[in-house]
Amino acid sequence: MRPSWTSAPDRPEDVPELPRPACEHVRYGNTNGQPGHREGAAGLTTHAPHAAQSVTLPASLDEAVAALTAMPAAVPVAGGTDLMAAVNKGRLRPAGLVGLGRINEIRGWQYQDGHALLGAGLTHSRMGRPDFAALIPALAAAARAAGPPQIRNAGTLGGNIVTAAPTGDTLPVLAALEADLVIAGPGGTIREVPVSHLLAGRELLGPAELVGFVRVPLLHAPQVFLKATGRTGPGRATASVAVVLDPARRGVRCAVGAIAPMPLRPLEAERWIGSLIDWDGERGLAPEALAAFGEYVAAACIPDQEGEEQPPPAVLHLRRVVAALARRALGRALS
Amino acid sequence: MSNDAAIAAPAVGGPEQAPPAHGLGAALPQADVRAKTEGTFPYASDLWAEGLLWAAILRSPHPHARITAVDTSAAAGMPGVRAVVTHADVPGDAAYGRGVADRPVFASDIVRHHGEAIAAVAADHPDTARLAAAAITVEYEVLEPVTDPEKAFAAEPLHPDGNLIRHIPLSYGDPEAGGEVVVEGLYRIGRQDPAPIGAEAGLAVPRPDGGVELYTASTDPHTDRDLAAACFGLDSERVKVVVTGVPGATGDREDPGFQIPLGLLALRTGCPVKLAATREESFLGHAHRHPTLLRYRHHASAEGRLLKVEAQILLDAGAYADSSSESLAAAVAFACGPYVVPHAFVEGWAVRTNNPPSGHMRGEGALQVCAAYEAQMDKLAAKLGLDPAEVRLRNVLATGDILPTGQTVTCPAPVAELLRAVRDVPLPPLPKDTPEAAWLLPGGPEGAGEPGAVRRGVGYALGMVHMLGAEGTDEVSTATVKVQDGAATVICAAVETGQGFSTLARQIVQETLGIEEVRVAPVDTDQPPAGPAAHGRHTWVSGGAVERAAKMVRTQLLQPLAHQFGMSTELLQITDGKITSYDGVLSTTVTEAMDGKELWATAQCRPHPTEPLDDHGQGDAFVGLAFCAIRAVVDVDIELGSVRVVEMAVAQDVGRVLNPAQLATRIEAGVTQGIGAALTENLRTARGLVRHPDLTGYALPTALDAPDIRIVRLVEERDVVAPFGAKAASAVPVVTSPAAVAAAVRAATGRPVNRLPIRPQAAVATP
Repeated sequence: MRPSWTSAPDRPEDVPELPRPACEHVRYGNTNGQPGHREGAAGLTTHAPHAAQSVTLPASLDEAVAALTAMPAAVPVAGGTDLMAAVNKGRLRPAGLVGLGRINEIRGWQYQDGHALLGAGLTHSRMGRPDFAALIPALAAAARAAGPPQIRNAGTLGGNIVTAAPTGDTLPVLAALEADLVIAGPGGTIREVPVSHLLAGRELLGPAELVGFVRVPLLHAPQVFLKATGRTGPGRATASVAVVLDPARRGVRCAVGAIAPMPLRPLEAERWIGSLIDWDGERGLAPEALAAFGEYVAAACIPDQEGEEQPPPAVLHLRRVVAALARRALGRALS
Repeated sequence: MSNDAAIAAPAVGGPEQAPPAHGLGAALPQADVRAKTEGTFPYASDLWAEGLLWAAILRSPHPHARITAVDTSAAAGMPGVRAVVTHADVPGDAAYGRGVADRPVFASDIVRHHGEAIAAVAADHPDTARLAAAAITVEYEVLEPVTDPEKAFAAEPLHPDGNLIRHIPLSYGDPEAGGEVVVEGLYRIGRQDPAPIGAEAGLAVPRPDGGVELYTASTDPHTDRDLAAACFGLDSERVKVVVTGVPGATGDREDPGFQIPLGLLALRTGCPVKLAATREESFLGHAHRHPTLLRYRHHASAEGRLLKVEAQILLDAGAYADSSSESLAAAVAFACGPYVVPHAFVEGWAVRTNNPPSGHMRGEGALQVCAAYEAQMDKLAAKLGLDPAEVRLRNVLATGDILPTGQTVTCPAPVAELLRAVRDVPLPPLPKDTPEAAWLLPGGPEGAGEPGAVRRGVGYALGMVHMLGAEGTDEVSTATVKVQDGAATVICAAVETGQGFSTLARQIVQETLGIEEVRVAPVDTDQPPAGPAAHGRHTWVSGGAVERAAKMVRTQLLQPLAHQFGMSTELLQITDGKITSYDGVLSTTVTEAMDGKELWATAQCRPHPTEPLDDHGQGDAFVGLAFCAIRAVVDVDIELGSVRVVEMAVAQDVGRVLNPAQLATRIEAGVTQGIGAALTENLRTARGLVRHPDLTGYALPTALDAPDIRIVRLVEERDVVAPFGAKAASAVPVVTSPAAVAAAVRAATGRPVNRLPIRPQAAVATP
């Protein structure tokens, strides 16, 4: 038998006359240990075969909750951009997976008395599109800024919330919007929880509970999301700021992301700047007022440590970045 | 983006000509480009063999610790585990290393860096292997790590060989010399990772004769084979390294630290064993660019002429020597850059620490000093109130000048021409005529950039590298050319790492023999050695060997015909498979002339020897030099400190353009890697522990970070000692671009920028 080796870095075809590897049984398969095709023994589709002994693909939220109730050790997975990376690294070995990708009811949105009820399965790509941007501009901007297209195509709103990574780009926007989570639980129970409660750990998801929808007020006013990163290409935020205007309540709401385990709200700064804005007139503010707002937000979110005369340079820089982002975000919202 | 520019550029000096379709000077695409684009090109991680086992390596979680006990019994007893090996199972030499064998295969008593290998496991599934590796219990007595290279001199020896790996005190000229203007600086360069796009992988297959075959993406198969064989306790002949597809290599790949455990497991189990490293293991295991601390003092006249350079260079070699000695030689020799310096005193040290290992990476040594000496030139220009390009022009090196090592520059050194070329090309336009929404500001699309806070800066840098091994390394490559049935085959152990050697080899044979169909054989260690794929070696030495072998075949082919027609072989030419004589009397085809014969020829190329640097850093240590000038244009958001490189204008000394398309891609790739070193790439450690060993924490440049790379001039002054007169092109843009970006950020912000990569807090300024 001729060896099936075809390693020539430059020549996919065989070069029969040449010295061949003596070994007859070496050839290329795929990384999963399968000879050249992806379907093999059950469970060998990733490096972690023990990872998913059972995979359920429910078609509705109720079915998903039922599947999780039936198998409490199973883990729900939507886009999998964080979860599957952890599984492939061997850091997580779920006994089972409940895939949420086939639940159509959570992949779109609907309107409900002045609010949008966003499905938790909305992908970042979908939220980045113009029709969505017309509805909730800051959430669309955050979705567009979140990672490369491959990640945005897979990663979902609900996943971003439940993963609760400090750098989750949609989180400061949801915090500023004071969004509520609609959580489905066993036995058809539905409860609503403010997003900040979940992110701060004040309330937790119970067994077999799933975030089904996110209720976001439609404010019909400018909103801005800004994010500072280390490079021009997609990257995790070093700091991010969401500013939303709420003309009905004559308020400015601001949240700062990525600098703490959860988005931070500088409530005093919000109230102060809200009182300065002429809500019935031009809404503009002097550059000094914008700058003061930025400083206020930065000082509130990155306070001086006790007994520390001068914060370290990295902290000073972060404070400067937050101040600049907050000033720019408010300036853009009011312009 | 700049393919057109690159193809057009060589024609600047001469009449406009269409580039040839094949042979030298043709823009021949790489033969594997389609497979690589479509994702069907097989790499080492795609290898598979019947009944293979999977390997996993247990690595140290501590940067410095004493191992008091290793218990493998739990791992060995796990179902599916076939072998567990530790230092006690290494049959041959316990340590290996290029130059100095100071690195143990498996740590036995002391762990010297985070991620050092302690044991390896072979099991029937990769997950089992990993779980088994985790089940090995190692008792450590944690020791204080030495992570500051400045403290390594006085610290307790970390290794029986001591902490000082090499010291070069270069002295050239009069120490008393001085100038009216003095500028000083302290510079720090971070730890760049080669970050190959494919992590390390390989397959070891035991042979019936008790030997082993290693299928890996090695870039230096013969050295790797010899090091591995010594550790296996086998003759070199019984170990064979077969080179697979190489998924990116800007440093050494698949170093013995990966290959030896793999081979040991295959020998132990009698089964093929495969290892596919995770990205984290890859970051922990392979060698990085030397983090460097540099102190400089430049003395110049009031006219801006350099009189004396004093420098101290400290390379952090990590735990083992590897190629640090070579890197230090390059750093010391090029410490003054491509400038004429009458008096130079440069002291360089490479020291051992408990930081991640350092070793060969493109532009080693030269990159770090380039960032420092160019910062010094900017300081000098600022102090004298001169244009930065003008100060440089007053000092540039030319052929015939003497380097601080005492070596006379005999090769072409068109440094002034390169600098003028990048200086005179128009600056990129400001985006003021396009809608503001379309501007790509620092921070990227959807970023926070604000036009009012963005400042544009322009900076220059000149860089130089040496080609081939330095200091007396025996450079030799052997190539065989075979012609049969109108097609030629090249057999040479020069590894195609993506640098384009196999395309070049095809072009050389096409040029010499006029045969269009040329194949390049896969590489293994049954072929004669060709040396590591680094320092432009294969363009020069292996390319030279291929040319000689092709010429010998040509003589064999034409001699009978020439004899028959009573003319010399020089009067016959081969084009498109036809042999014709100068007068047209003879016309036949290659196939006819071959008459079914097979023609083989083997030749060697060995450039002129070099000598080691002596106790004063003097000596003719380098075979050849290559130069580059870059003008960087950057936009800096001075409030956030975010930097976007807008354009890099490159002029390079290439000797001769052998393949314009390939040359352009090499320059673009090099510049982009240099931008990574300038802005984002730094493998951070905290007390010796690697932080964020993943591609999220370690930010490589993306397509959005890569600027317009404008190749404004390729100077083709042939280097008479190099085959074809061509110079290596890959390394010098890597070396030069970080310095150029730093200079541009300096110009935009007015900040000193004395640390690479440039942190955002170093690029903020008050408007």
